[in-house]
Amino acid sequence: MMSTPHATSARTETPDEGRSARLLLVLDWLRGTYMLPVIVVAILVIATLQPAFLSGGNIQNVLFQAAFTGIVACGMTLLIAGGLIDLSVGGVMAVSAIVVAMVLPHTFIGAAILLAVVVGAVLGLVNGLVVSWIRIPPFIATLGTLYLYRGVAFIITDGKVVPVTSNNYRQATTGLVAGVPVPLIIFLIVLVLTWFVLQRTYVGRGTRAIGSSERAAALAGVPVNLTKIIGFVLTGAFAALAGALMAGRLSSAEGNMATGFEMGVIAAVVVGGTSLKGGRGTVLGTMLGALFFAILTNALNLLGVASYWQYVVLGSVLVIAIAIGSFRNDVLSVRS
Amino acid sequence: MNDIATSADVGSAATNAAEDLVAAQRQRSAEEAKVRERAAQVLRSAGVLLPFIVVLILGVVFVPRFLSGSNLANMAVNAGILALVGYGMTVAIAMRGLDLSVGSAQALTACVVAATVNAWGIVPGILVGLLLGLVLGAINGGLIAGLKVPDFVATLSTLNVFRGAVLLFTGGAPIMIASATYKGIATTRILGLPLPFLLSLLIGALVWVLLELTPFGNRVVAVGVNPVAARATGISIRGTLIAGYMLSGLCAGIGGVLVASQLGAVNGSVSTGLELQAIAIVVLGGTSMMGGRPRIIGTWIAALLLSMINAGLNLLNVPSFYQYVALGALLILSLGIDGAQRAALKQLLIRRAA
Repeated sequence: MMSTPHATSARTETPDEGRSARLLLVLDWLRGTYMLPVIVVAILVIATLQPAFLSGGNIQNVLFQAAFTGIVACGMTLLIAGGLIDLSVGGVMAVSAIVVAMVLPHTFIGAAILLAVVVGAVLGLVNGLVVSWIRIPPFIATLGTLYLYRGVAFIITDGKVVPVTSNNYRQATTGLVAGVPVPLIIFLIVLVLTWFVLQRTYVGRGTRAIGSSERAAALAGVPVNLTKIIGFVLTGAFAALAGALMAGRLSSAEGNMATGFEMGVIAAVVVGGTSLKGGRGTVLGTMLGALFFAILTNALNLLGVASYWQYVVLGSVLVIAIAIGSFRNDVLSVRS
Repeated sequence: MNDIATSADVGSAATNAAEDLVAAQRQRSAEEAKVRERAAQVLRSAGVLLPFIVVLILGVVFVPRFLSGSNLANMAVNAGILALVGYGMTVAIAMRGLDLSVGSAQALTACVVAATVNAWGIVPGILVGLLLGLVLGAINGGLIAGLKVPDFVATLSTLNVFRGAVLLFTGGAPIMIASATYKGIATTRILGLPLPFLLSLLIGALVWVLLELTPFGNRVVAVGVNPVAARATGISIRGTLIAGYMLSGLCAGIGGVLVASQLGAVNGSVSTGLELQAIAIVVLGGTSMMGGRPRIIGTWIAALLLSMINAGLNLLNVPSFYQYVALGALLILSLGIDGAQRAALKQLLIRRAA
């Protein structure tokens, strides 16, 4: 979390500045930690309206959903902190899920997942190369590769649904370890890994530097292209992991799976407090964001709201979260 | 005396000769620059003309029934509707913006128009469609200019919101249009040309005039090239952005009116993925993603190109998934050309400065 030092020693604050400083503090607090009370309130409200929300099976549902979104959102946090974005994650998930479903009858579980992750990393590499070498803006480049990957997914399946026949695989990816669903454990591992990369490594520092100012980062000797490519490769690998787990959960894979997934992922990252302007990323916030949206969609389902509303709610929440963020930036720029 | 005068004359003659030389050199380099600029412009239009001609020849040679009347009419209608949406996207991209919501906006308009035509008649239906397009564009503009949400996220959100709205509006069921007159609009021919095709020419000319010959066009270019400088010269960035996105919404709305007529029955999932096609034709047409360079004519030609590719793949019975791949690859290719052009231009400027 970035802190804003107050330059109070040299000059006296005008009342106006004092007010905007206070406003800034409130907004900063809102960005960093507001998800926690929001989630608590959301749970309380939903549980009152629909007691079934707190049933063991439903909580598991929520955690599964949060894990799928969260695993991909970790990679997206890295990218957005670097001022980049990846809209192709849904396509990567579909391709990798299909790869798992197709190779499973012929190999063992670990190899299938590993292959899927490698495929995802390669697709991420393609994104990274297109963005950094051909210099296409990331949101358009990955919109193009989203269609490319989905097309590939349709072509290799011939438009059909591929069943996951292995019972062992289904159990391995949806089972519980000490009462915790496997995808959630994997999510937490990915989370810690992402936090470590972002906050404690040269790559993470370079990513944040690129997000603040690509030019300055390049002048300071950050290998800009390589850093960007690493971000895309990690995101591709994470998306593939989520796709492989989702194939286990759904017992099948198809070209249409995870359609529109990128939207929920970006929403989780942004609502979690990572600025779309780049330069900062909060992995913990992303976790809370993923949890929040999992709870929200689950509640809409439980309350019998038409699934079409989910598009509207998701889009609106995302826009509101970003608007709060840019309002904060306005306050900042007025101050300086 | 004479000697001195002579040497002075010689001196001034030498200076004159040198000045002449410099002037000649300057003129030559100016001419060279002009030639280079013209070559660059030709190259830019060739950027879309070349693939256009290649695809046309390939289509005529390899695709059966490519030149049949029904296929030509079909291509003209599709190209016309696509070009109309592309004009709005051209304006958005020229402002260094983006409108990902055009597909959903078109679907919402088409369904609302269909319902209105059934309830109140054709003219109210068309008016409601145009108005709705403007309103949807104003929502995008308001989010981007008013709330300062980055354009691609704002319109990615409204893509979902509008799509949700149209699915709620239709309840997932198709809306059949009863009026045969309305269904005939998209296939009406004037001077042998389908109406959507003619509209794309007419509205294209209007948008071209708007961009090239009016203060609004200058503002669009200024905002796209350098918003800070544009603000410094007194241009209202907010006003320009909102107007630009409203224009994009209006174009999507016109597209929706025509799509409703073309299909006769519309549902909540029409025009899915239209944004990618629109972006592809705009960039293929030579409009730079870096803003400030709208190319309406290029957009129109690229719309013809894309509808030829789609029709060709359909006639060859290529599974529709390959069209996804073709479209994605086309987009990346055109963006790659755009990027290479920019890099070459930068090199040129650096060399000239050195």
